[in-house]
Amino acid sequence: MILDPSRYVAPGMAGPQGSKPVRGNIYLPVPAQVREVHRENDLVTTFVLEFDDPLVNQEFSFEPGQFMMVSMPHCGEAPISFSSPPGRGGGFALTVRRAGRLTSAMHRLRPGDTIGVRGPYGRPFPMTELAGSSLLFVAGGIGLAPLRSVIDFCLDHRSDYGEITLLYGCRTPADICFADDLERWSRAGVRCLCTVDEADDSWSGRVGLVTELLQDVQVEADSWRALVCGPGIMIHFVLSRLLEMGLPRDHLFTTLERHMKCGVGICGHCFLEEKLICREGPVFSLAELDDTRNL
Amino acid sequence: MLENFVLEKDHLLPLLRKLGRQYRLVAPVRNRHGDTLFTEIHDLDRVEIDLEHQPQSSLKPFFFPQVEVLSMYGLDHDTSSGATWYSFYPQLPENRPTVYFGVRSCDMMAVMYTDMIFLQSSEYDVYYARHRENAIFITIGCNQPFSNCFCNATRSGPFLEHGFDIQLTDIGDRFFVETGRARGVQLRRQWAYFFRDATEDDRRAQFQAALEARGLFNRLVHVDLVTRILARQEEPEAIFAELSARCQDCGGCAYICPTCTCFTIHDQALDEDRGERLRTWDACTFSGFTRMAGGHNPVDPDRQRVRKRFLHKLLHDVEHHGRTSCMGCGRCVDMCFGGVDILRFIEMVSENETEHEETP
Repeated sequence: MILDPSRYVAPGMAGPQGSKPVRGNIYLPVPAQVREVHRENDLVTTFVLEFDDPLVNQEFSFEPGQFMMVSMPHCGEAPISFSSPPGRGGGFALTVRRAGRLTSAMHRLRPGDTIGVRGPYGRPFPMTELAGSSLLFVAGGIGLAPLRSVIDFCLDHRSDYGEITLLYGCRTPADICFADDLERWSRAGVRCLCTVDEADDSWSGRVGLVTELLQDVQVEADSWRALVCGPGIMIHFVLSRLLEMGLPRDHLFTTLERHMKCGVGICGHCFLEEKLICREGPVFSLAELDDTRNL
Repeated sequence: MLENFVLEKDHLLPLLRKLGRQYRLVAPVRNRHGDTLFTEIHDLDRVEIDLEHQPQSSLKPFFFPQVEVLSMYGLDHDTSSGATWYSFYPQLPENRPTVYFGVRSCDMMAVMYTDMIFLQSSEYDVYYARHRENAIFITIGCNQPFSNCFCNATRSGPFLEHGFDIQLTDIGDRFFVETGRARGVQLRRQWAYFFRDATEDDRRAQFQAALEARGLFNRLVHVDLVTRILARQEEPEAIFAELSARCQDCGGCAYICPTCTCFTIHDQALDEDRGERLRTWDACTFSGFTRMAGGHNPVDPDRQRVRKRFLHKLLHDVEHHGRTSCMGCGRCVDMCFGGVDILRFIEMVSENETEHEETP
């Protein structure tokens, strides 16, 4: 029991357990400058950012699946996943869909502007545990953003991972993000299959839900792991289908989205049952999720 | 080590006067509207310290204010490039040595819980820490529990075994004094002439008062039973829906609760280029608490509005921390005009269980 006196440490008390090192202010954003702006489609933009302070730039590191809390003037903060892989130097990328006040303000940013960021936060994808496996990525819409960080990480460490397949579904062709990356990945040997729910004249590819693409892939329970990201309802159906295909729960991973304020497990907003997604997630294996119906 | 002393009741005010010269003094004060609230005391001779009624507020606002400035921010524009710089300037609260006097066991336990949330997770909340450092707690056991109290069922009172700096027990014309943590020991030593050593009679009187208090609770509340029922994963969906429908979305239960620590962070513009970043109390019963940009809400407010509140206090915190985060203070019972308090929930779940047991 944590309120047991032997484990309880009152703040400011002297003694071996009680002494608290001077610590930073977890709520204080650090300025980062927008270096590049890439428009993915009408609603989605990728920002490449770099810290103003070169020392911070040098020391900063993150892992695929983690996120940053982004501040915009007068708009508060929102959690945004990394969409670039770590370890390439030269800052990091965040991909943002215009959905509310803060993300709309971000879409007005130009190179040279400054935003506030703090992080990285959250539990990343278990890249070490995934090494040696073949990977099936299943993404819906902007859900490809956090998986893009993983895919590029795998390509940067190509010999550590087996086959890589990406199934990507969007509502319409105009909703597709990372079109250039899809081509680049195909050239690099990633099997990329795309589908849209509703086609238009520009589209000659597949039409249908992303779950239908699963019919076209063969995955072996032992050697494959699947990473899924998209709207909650899509995650639910894809994970259910992957279970039916014989993949065990601990081979299935997803990353979840929630309203968040602090990013560090205090403010309470991002709960999923007894878990806080900012701290215990946002990446979960299906073995850790009892029920995926209401993600 | 617990040491026992006695403070004569007519020595109390002189002691508090002494403490008031060295520390900020906070105690339950009865105001002219008849409210008893923890209040900062500037002149002991002009206020009425009230140990007869349950303070309507807890100590929460002293460590975690309802609204607090986290930082100021400003924008600077470079006219030649058109670029904008955006900078933050932290605003740390002042850190004043404070004696909190007349703190009830439930509220002391609540402070220990909020310490854990803000300071003992992997991240350290420097704002809470600044308020919380240099605090001394003089608690008082409850010889007579108040009408909605059930701290016996949540094991957070009516007397404490640890956590306090000094614990008082009313034993007639004098207080029995236990020193707990180091600051209490030091405080008692510093003003030793106000105290005398406890005798066997004093100890017996304290023991008697503490024992009798246990029998004086009005309410029989099955907290442990409800935790066990909830842990079985047969969710009382109908009870959540019934109580959610009665909840008026006011947040009063969370605001008055000494262990509700949820907050939101938002910006308040002062002008076009400057503003304050504020932290404000929030409540999981508010419909917007979990709603994301774009409108999706993983919680159905109509049926599940109160679900997280009760599960968090009675189940999730038991799983995470080994005890409920309801301290049995009963304040939410008086606060909620819809009758959607935690006691009502506990009663409904335990009655439900009894009915099930009776059905063959």
